[in-house]
Amino acid sequence: MAHSNWAEWIYVAVVIALLTYVGAEAWNIENLIEHVPEDAEVIKVTAQQWFWSFEHEDGTKEVGELHLKKDHAYKFEIESKDVNHNFNIHEYVVLLDAVPGQINTVWFSPNEAGEFDIQCREYCGLIHYNMRATLIVEDVK
Amino acid sequence: MSKIFHLSIIIATLCIIPTISLVFAAETTGEYLDRKAEIWNLFFRMMTVAFVVGGVIAGTMVWQVWRFRESNPKAKPTPYEEKGEL
Amino acid sequence: MVLALAKARPVWQIMFSTHHTDVGLLYLVFSLLAMFIGGAMAIALRVELFAPGIQLIEDSMSYNRLFTAHGTTMIFLFLLPSASAVGNYLVPIMVRYKDMAYPKLNAIAFWMIPPAAALVWLGMADFGWYANPPYSVISAPAPAAEMWIFGLKVLGVSSILSSVNFVVTILKCKHPDMSLGKVPLLAWSFLSSSIIVLAAMPTFAAALLMLLTDRLGATGFFNPAMGGDPIAYQHLFWFTFHPEVYVLVIPAIGMMYEIIPRFSRRPIFSHSSGVAAFVILSLVAFASWAHHMYATGMSFTEKTVFMIGTLAAVPASAMHVFNFLATMWNGRIKFATPMMWAVGGIALFFAAGAGGVVNSAMPLDFITHDSYWVVGHFHLFVFGTIAFGTIGFVYYLFPYITGRMYSEKWGIVHFILAFVGACITFFTQHILGLFGMPRRIYDYPEIDSWISMNALISVGAMIILVGMVIFLANMIYSTAKGKPANMEDPFGLGGKYYYPYAQRNPHH
Repeated sequence: MAHSNWAEWIYVAVVIALLTYVGAEAWNIENLIEHVPEDAEVIKVTAQQWFWSFEHEDGTKEVGELHLKKDHAYKFEIESKDVNHNFNIHEYVVLLDAVPGQINTVWFSPNEAGEFDIQCREYCGLIHYNMRATLIVEDVK
Repeated sequence: MSKIFHLSIIIATLCIIPTISLVFAAETTGEYLDRKAEIWNLFFRMMTVAFVVGGVIAGTMVWQVWRFRESNPKAKPTPYEEKGEL
Repeated sequence: MVLALAKARPVWQIMFSTHHTDVGLLYLVFSLLAMFIGGAMAIALRVELFAPGIQLIEDSMSYNRLFTAHGTTMIFLFLLPSASAVGNYLVPIMVRYKDMAYPKLNAIAFWMIPPAAALVWLGMADFGWYANPPYSVISAPAPAAEMWIFGLKVLGVSSILSSVNFVVTILKCKHPDMSLGKVPLLAWSFLSSSIIVLAAMPTFAAALLMLLTDRLGATGFFNPAMGGDPIAYQHLFWFTFHPEVYVLVIPAIGMMYEIIPRFSRRPIFSHSSGVAAFVILSLVAFASWAHHMYATGMSFTEKTVFMIGTLAAVPASAMHVFNFLATMWNGRIKFATPMMWAVGGIALFFAAGAGGVVNSAMPLDFITHDSYWVVGHFHLFVFGTIAFGTIGFVYYLFPYITGRMYSEKWGIVHFILAFVGACITFFTQHILGLFGMPRRIYDYPEIDSWISMNALISVGAMIILVGMVIFLANMIYSTAKGKPANMEDPFGLGGKYYYPYAQRNPHH
């Protein structure tokens, strides 16, 4: 233990500095995306083995397909009827667990028209691999 | 010891001030936040850091493996070997 | 204890022995057997995923059962027992005691594992190694799930018993002349990981019992239909199994601490910083469990707390990497097989750690959660770091166990195949995750990028398979016909080793 350890202290300080940067950046972005716009339309998402159903604010119901308008804000209220699922639109980085007995919320605003995949990302049994739906973003003014 | 202390204060200042200013920066107004762009941009910033650090570490390791291998012409017995202290 | 086949001992003599080297041998043989079984399962999964559609496995239920068995086997039947094997061989010698503190308890802890393995393998539960309720309560097919629960219960008790044994051996049985600060780092790693097990495992034991009574319909702890909370299970589960990651990785780092100075022909750069990093790691191990659960609808505050807890584990891990590199510096390194595995393991350990830091940034969880990124990330840890350290150590111990030398040439071929295979497989899995492929899926839609990356991953897995077949052949052939090893210095490094073979075994 005769040798001095200054190099290791500098190294640890650099590591901690980098981690501080990572943590602060992550905190900042999470803070930005947590903030839900007030005029966001609520979409109720219900997961069950092994399909997705959606209910719009005006009462329209859809199964396996979700029609949304471009450049509107939407807030998903996600719940499950049986086991845990995970509501995921990978293209728009929307992802949240559907847990029975609990409503989870996440919001987004589609800025591109087209068709996107909705999939289940939490293991939920036999047909988990094919628990899919389609998001259709329409370009209407 | 005091040298280390000063150094760590300098490093801490250099990191903390920019992050604080970043964190409390004004939010953009008008259009809805582009969630996809924000998250992927964060991802690519993180990957830049990861790959720079990774490059340094991997480079150091590759150089060490090349330089200190037994078969390198410059390799010489370590002091501990010579004194039989291993 | 030399297993030289010239002086073969009857198998029952080893099986009923309580001597630490015999129990260590049992642990080692069993864990390698489990590795090959678990590996065969992984290969079956990769063949199935090679392309969309049915390849090998006829239905999704079989696939789900296979990935559950694969995960459970690799973690509980390969990695944990293989660490115990190394600990059994070397910890008593390093603390200069004649045996483990409780030899009979030691043998019992081992003999609980095969029945538990039988429960897991015969049952083939289908709910993933994390048995996530309410699926595991209301949906998982019956005898399999109970068998898994009982199997894991037994394994938990076994690992608590062996941890008690390690803690007592190191703290109470070490030679009176040896202060705790002088205990070698490998023994320190077993002390830290055993203490983590003792603190973490009871939580999972309780969760398993609650899961069982839930399945029997007697209670509804995790069943929302009966007013329970499925998230509570996830907290209990990860409170045990995030620290469990450290339980696995700390002994592997300890093994590298034995290999790297030995083959660099220099003492460890800083013994005290290694000890400090082990102690810090075993404390912060308990500060990060809920980073597995960002997506369950946690609040911003909770996420922030667990992100900080996760990042806090990084400096200590980085100290280990620094210690390894500083030890190699100015050394005269002999790249025999064990050293190659250790150095490769450090490289992949860094990659896994960097991926982990990126993971812990909470918004990025929206990209990576439950995708193949996560699969690639933790396989870099469990295979790239832990199994690399362990396999390197198996090569290192080989001459002491068998009295013979393994084939150096094939050992190096094994390492190169495994390293290249691991890089292809697990780095590609990271990228596949970024393209959004969920984990635990039996089949996938025909998306071009997914198809080509899955094919590449399967090829990487096959390369690892070839390496492992060579490993098996090398072990079997060299045990029977290898060159007799120079037992005083099998690797030609000079210096003093810890000699497990010199421990006098009263049983023969």
